[in-house]
Amino acid sequence: MSESSKKPMMPNKVVEVMVDSIFRKNGVKPEEVKNTLSEKQREMLREMVTDLKQQVEEFQKNNASEKKE
Amino acid sequence: MSVYRSRPEGTHRFHDDFYGDDYVCDPQESGYETNNYQASPADYNNSFNSNFGEASVVQDGDEFSYMEQESAEVIWIKESCDIVVHTTDTQVAASLQAALQLAIAIVVRITIGDSADGDEVEQELLQTISSSQVNKQKIFIYNTKDAKVTTTDTDIAVNIQLLLQLLVALVVLIDIL
Repeated sequence: MSESSKKPMMPNKVVEVMVDSIFRKNGVKPEEVKNTLSEKQREMLREMVTDLKQQVEEFQKNNASEKKE
Repeated sequence: MSVYRSRPEGTHRFHDDFYGDDYVCDPQESGYETNNYQASPADYNNSFNSNFGEASVVQDGDEFSYMEQESAEVIWIKESCDIVVHTTDTQVAASLQAALQLAIAIVVRITIGDSADGDEVEQELLQTISSSQVNKQKIFIYNTKDAKVTTTDTDIAVNIQLLLQLLVALVVLIDIL
């Protein structure tokens, strides 16, 4: 994969700030949310995100290799 | 209990009338048997029942269709020979996108569904990345020999990337990853 395709289109920091501001606007406090989750839920969410991440990487890899042909 | 799905049954991502009998590729349904779809969030749905109000889950299937990205591609090849066509697999991309959207919705629901207006938060999150939603490509090849056609759907690739970033940012913020 080339260097340009590895770099995200939007900087992670921007997304991070955006999510944070939306939470703030709607009165959601991440610290409180942390406590409401059970260990099992965290585990499930973690697995879900990791799995999706992997799929996206796979997809992007395929796309990049097709372009090279 | 209803099951999450990315779009209401019987609704196609493509405009049927637009395509008529000119399908070059297989119709939509086949796309959902690809391996990549196995991990669709639908599989996770039942595990979270305790956290979802019954009513809100039932509504979700319809609610979600408005976020659908349209990504259509038609290639007609007529009276030609030796044509090579390379296209992005939009079906895999579309199901991946739907899976990501659903995952974001799930995270929002689980974490803040009770304490705040989850729907609104979710909508705001998704709105920011739904700027380019329609991508249509039509290609006619007529009376041609030995041509090579390559198409890419950058819109959907960018969208998927952004959705993933959003999802990761979300779970990082609530300390899951």
